[in-house]
Amino acid sequence: MSLMKKIGLVVLILLIGIQLIQPARNSSGQVPATDISKTVFIPGNVKSLLQTACNDCHSNNTNYPWYTNIQPMGWLLANHIKDGKADLNFNEFGSYSQRRQLSKLKSIASQVKDDEMPLTSYTMLHKNARLTKEQKLLIIDWALQAKDSLEQKKP
Amino acid sequence: MKTLIMIAVAAISLSACNRNNQSKETTATTTDTTQTEVQANTDLNSNNPVNNVVTSYLQLKNALANDNSKDAAAAGTEVQKAIEKADPASFSADQKKIFADVKDDAIEHAEHIAANANNIEHQREHFETLSKDLYDMVKVFGSVQTLYQTHCPMYNNNKGANWLSETKEIKNPYYGSKMSTCGEVKEEIK
Repeated sequence: MSLMKKIGLVVLILLIGIQLIQPARNSSGQVPATDISKTVFIPGNVKSLLQTACNDCHSNNTNYPWYTNIQPMGWLLANHIKDGKADLNFNEFGSYSQRRQLSKLKSIASQVKDDEMPLTSYTMLHKNARLTKEQKLLIIDWALQAKDSLEQKKP
Repeated sequence: MKTLIMIAVAAISLSACNRNNQSKETTATTTDTTQTEVQANTDLNSNNPVNNVVTSYLQLKNALANDNSKDAAAAGTEVQKAIEKADPASFSADQKKIFADVKDDAIEHAEHIAANANNIEHQREHFETLSKDLYDMVKVFGSVQTLYQTHCPMYNNNKGANWLSETKEIKNPYYGSKMSTCGEVKEEIK
């Protein structure tokens, strides 16, 4: 067996080997009491935008495309989800302090406005997560309004 | 064939071991340094438990006013450390309450400022909310040095934004050299 063939075989075995290590799935399938919808009002159209463009990484329920069953794609995604949820988890929004809730709503608006979110690496693979200008405005306006009304509720 | 599989398995397990060891080592060193620094700080500023937070915040504010995002990032790290080190054990009930309210939010803003050394506008966005956190905090904790709550009416699409300063002289941290003198002192905090 030539050296190239041996190297090729090792790579192949490694690729098959890593398929056995599947990251845990991010899917609770529930709407907990701390969900953002229980803290602030979200109109239906905004809700569906958040669902398609944000929730994969910012909630406890990811909609997994088929290729995430193949490693290392699944690992990369698991990492993204971990980071995303650490910064903002819509399912745990209600557990944040009110101060942090206000900060999050402000950041949602500015991240979308500055085209930082959704991540380009994410929209490249998720065409339906690409937001039009109008859709972006819907999210921005909602976040800022939600922030204002939350601020008025302040004790 | 068998040997090849063995090699592959060995390689995977070896790399896994390495990773564990590394993370253990880093945690050990961080705890050590934190402990020594905490002692030094409490000795210097026993009169106001959040004085270090204020001092590093002011460094951050000055870095932004000088359009220096690298220094701002470094100061952001200092703000974060100072908040984490403040020990609520010695706080009054009111102080505990406001500190618990502010802590997570302020740490998060400081972290983002630290992580965005190449994006000063983003640092400024977080600085705005951090300034609010700090204001609410010093209103309860007081301050070793006199602070001036300063207001710039233009930032944020003319919604306005505030910052705390150690001087009455205006040096705008939201616009830097572009509009250095925009702003006015609204309140004096001692």
